Amino acid sequence: MEVPRPMGVERTQSAGRSSIVSRLATWTENLSEQTYALLLLAPGFLILLLFAFWPLASSFRMSFFEDVIVGPESLGGFVGLENYVSLLTDSNPFATLTFLDPAMETPILQQALILTLLFAIISVAGETLLGFAYAMLMKAEYRGQRLVRVLIIIPWAIPIVIQGMIFFLLFRPGYGLLTGPLHQLGIFSQLPLGDAFSGFVIVTVADIWKTSAFMALLILAGMESVNQDLYEVADVMGASTWQRFRYITFPLVFPALMVAMLFRTMGALRVYGIIESTGVGCSTVPSMTCLVTEFTFGSTTLYGSAAAVSVLIAITVGVFISVYLLFIRYSNQSLGLT
Amino acid sequence: MARVKLDDVSKSYEDVVAVNNMNLDLADGEFITLVGPSGCGKSTTLETVAGLTKPTSGTIHIGEKEVTNLPPKDRGIAMVFQNIALFPHMDVYDNISFGLRLRDFPKDEIDERVEEAAEVVELEGMLDRMPDELSGGQRQRVAIARSIVRDPDVFLMDEPLANLDAKLRVNMRTELQRLHKQLETTIIYVTHNQAEAMTMSDRIAVINGGELQQIAPPLTCYNKPSNRFVAGFIGSPSMNFTPATVREGDLQADGYSLSYDTAAVEGLASREAVEIGIRPEDIYLVENESEAAEPSTRVEVVTDVLEPMGDEIFVYLKPVEAGAEDGMGSVEEREGLLMSVDPATDITEDQTVEIVFDRARLHLFDMENGNAISHGVIQGAMMDTGPGEDEAQADD
Amino acid sequence: MSIDAQDHDDAETLDDQDEESKNRVQAWAADWIRNPQKAYAVMGVFMGGVLLATTLFPLYWLFAVAMAPPGQTNIPLIPTEIDLYAFVDIFQQVPFARYMFNSLFYATTVTVVVIIVASLAGYAFGRLNFRGKLPLLFSLLVLSWFPPATLFLPLFRAFNQQVKMLGLFMLPAEIYGTPGAVIAPLSAFTMPLAVFILMTFYAQIPDGLEDAARVEGSTRIGALFRVIMPLSAPGVATAGILTFITVYTEFFFSFLMTGDAASEWAPIVNGVLAFQSRYTVRYDLQAAASLVAIVPVAILVVLAQDKIVSGLTQGALKE
Repeated sequence: MEVPRPMGVERTQSAGRSSIVSRLATWTENLSEQTYALLLLAPGFLILLLFAFWPLASSFRMSFFEDVIVGPESLGGFVGLENYVSLLTDSNPFATLTFLDPAMETPILQQALILTLLFAIISVAGETLLGFAYAMLMKAEYRGQRLVRVLIIIPWAIPIVIQGMIFFLLFRPGYGLLTGPLHQLGIFSQLPLGDAFSGFVIVTVADIWKTSAFMALLILAGMESVNQDLYEVADVMGASTWQRFRYITFPLVFPALMVAMLFRTMGALRVYGIIESTGVGCSTVPSMTCLVTEFTFGSTTLYGSAAAVSVLIAITVGVFISVYLLFIRYSNQSLGLT
Repeated sequence: MARVKLDDVSKSYEDVVAVNNMNLDLADGEFITLVGPSGCGKSTTLETVAGLTKPTSGTIHIGEKEVTNLPPKDRGIAMVFQNIALFPHMDVYDNISFGLRLRDFPKDEIDERVEEAAEVVELEGMLDRMPDELSGGQRQRVAIARSIVRDPDVFLMDEPLANLDAKLRVNMRTELQRLHKQLETTIIYVTHNQAEAMTMSDRIAVINGGELQQIAPPLTCYNKPSNRFVAGFIGSPSMNFTPATVREGDLQADGYSLSYDTAAVEGLASREAVEIGIRPEDIYLVENESEAAEPSTRVEVVTDVLEPMGDEIFVYLKPVEAGAEDGMGSVEEREGLLMSVDPATDITEDQTVEIVFDRARLHLFDMENGNAISHGVIQGAMMDTGPGEDEAQADD
Repeated sequence: MSIDAQDHDDAETLDDQDEESKNRVQAWAADWIRNPQKAYAVMGVFMGGVLLATTLFPLYWLFAVAMAPPGQTNIPLIPTEIDLYAFVDIFQQVPFARYMFNSLFYATTVTVVVIIVASLAGYAFGRLNFRGKLPLLFSLLVLSWFPPATLFLPLFRAFNQQVKMLGLFMLPAEIYGTPGAVIAPLSAFTMPLAVFILMTFYAQIPDGLEDAARVEGSTRIGALFRVIMPLSAPGVATAGILTFITVYTEFFFSFLMTGDAASEWAPIVNGVLAFQSRYTVRYDLQAAASLVAIVPVAILVVLAQDKIVSGLTQGALKE
């Protein structure tokens, strides 16, 4: 401090290492906030543009073109909304999947839509209940709590193909551990993986098993952010355990719960991987996304229709999200949280 | 070390003008304080010097170099922040040496400089602590050490003492002054606390509504405020203000009149009304009349509330028969005068007393724009100004 | 809720003595009615046990299958012998280590790319004001409405040099079957969530700290990596772990954008399916391979569970 140093020492020192990186960083210093923000967004949006927005737009465009089954070109001429119309009204002659309606009188898209909505509602409901229970188990304090947390989270981190493998082994035709007993109880058929009802149940259970943990994590996070003093206040006021849950935990965790359900609903409406990996297969349980893959990779390629289904899925998800957001806003008001 | 010069610096956000045509010229090694109420633009001014905010127009020089568009790192400045802003994930050593490490100083020199800086702020032996293990005062010292370790040309301090408790604040005030004496670096200090501004600085710049009101040594601001805002802002408790009608040779205020020297105050007779300002310590009980340089005629008032402060008593005064003439509504309007008296004074509430004003220390302000017309109304007994503005700069 | 350690102990002692006499059972019943806390605690322990069993049973079953001798069809609930040979065999029959390496490589690379790129974007969204912020954020949200399958066809054709990327240029080389064919789309698909999480965290860092770093000699970008990111460690960890696990568990792109062989950068999906030849299926090896494949993510969960919970608590849900 007291030692006088010539002015500009700092600058000489820093000039010594002016690599390209530091020169670039210095250049960015003088950009306006607007330019700087766009510069920072550039790498991310470049990746998104190339590998997400462009393929999306490309698919979207494809959905207005005719399916061509024979010949080297898989897309025909522009047909406007015809793909959508044929999907929504009559059975597409090339889509031979059946599920709820073996007579094939119901358009395949309606079947897939009903199935997917059923799956989403049942699995998200199950995951929410189970997730809440897991979250309470993770939240409580006792010896071994860390271990219990890990054990609960692990299924969420298991690759989908392995999750499928597990349930395949449980319900394998003839030999699966649960195949026999459930058949004898008259719940499942002898070949549960090939039967629409059993297959649907297996896929739903497998999904609940894996993703309840994720739900539990989000709910737990909501619980942890509740001010713990509130519980002391409640104790002083003589609240019972149920009342503590009813009047403190639940309303305060509610927003987090909504976010968690929203995430899961988005996932469930796009269900696909678990259907294939359990061996149930898209021909038994055709979800909306199943239609996309069947149309794309199936024996008859229907690229235009596949793209149209993708767009319809996105619309379905968008509608659900809007409903959730409206509901969250409405319930926040009625809970007095905003 | 360097002089700092702001020319016509303005900063506006969309339609809000935060700083309007700020001109400041700081001498090398000067300690200058920007003071004003919160939101007056003092912090924004400091940020433009730091480079954290780009001015909308105007130029800034540090030393001989124009820095208006340079990033903070190239300005040769150091800054201490109101919330102290230590990096919570680094220990004291890493916090202090952060800037040196960024500039690739050799390890030996970093060690040497950090130790030296730690010694200056008396933090030896604490270099391996984390910020959350330190007390408020210690954290503040680390922040100061972090800023002095690089030997900056200019120190910028943005309300560095605002988050400390009262006792610590006074201690740190002294330490900062000691530091300034030791380092002889130019310091720009921002505060809303006029006591800090008065005690530490060579000059203070009073800012209001984004505009510079006055820049002068503390005593000048106190004794010769350039306008009604400065007069009210500097000094605690605040100056008393009362409107008065101008008559030949005297000023007619509410319930009393004060005579003035026509020769002392040029052109006063041509005005119809002025605002009178008088500080609480320039009002005297009649028995202490002799202490006033130019006592006015006596005015009879009634004491209201007393606030014994220990070293003095604040006495709120109300006119005799308050409200009797103009009805109840007027009590608010003439909230009364505040006077400070010696703690030994024998005085009680609701007592009728006679007071005098020291006419040598009476301030007159324009009713319209608040600009000062005169400080003192008696020829030959004008306010002493303290060291003049030019002198103050030459001092250093 | 109320299962604190002490109640838990009480409950266990009570359980142990349960069989001794019926009168005592009645006494406990009366005690529980008077002290519902104890009843809740016992119920809690019971429910917890059931829940844990549900979670763990499928994994246990995997283990039981792995223990069974090759070709055994009726696999008992409790293995007749402990035979760990399957865990060695999986590495000898197929290059399973390489399959795992491929998956881990994808997960790691995508995580690194996403954290860096999403940090820059998260900083811009969280700490800067600029025109077009809301539409850009909304575009990230809309992206997650589409099933990944939507992206597949255009990308597949572009990666095979069949169509022009963006309709503008042909990729210089065929990248189908290379790591890039998996990394690129998965980076794009996992980025929005990472941006949302990091944005929330970065927005919470006080301006003063960034200002201090800049005054001390850092650039704005330098301050992001030296100060803002380290201080948002729980958020960065959360975003990173979510990305890593999403990619590691992903089914669609990693399966379809690669060949089947380990040397062609095929992931675990193909590794597990490799035990399925045209004539035989080695379920014991598939099960053993599955368990081995879980190990890396299990370790990650063990090490990082606190970070995930605190990360989600502090930031992700506050929006």
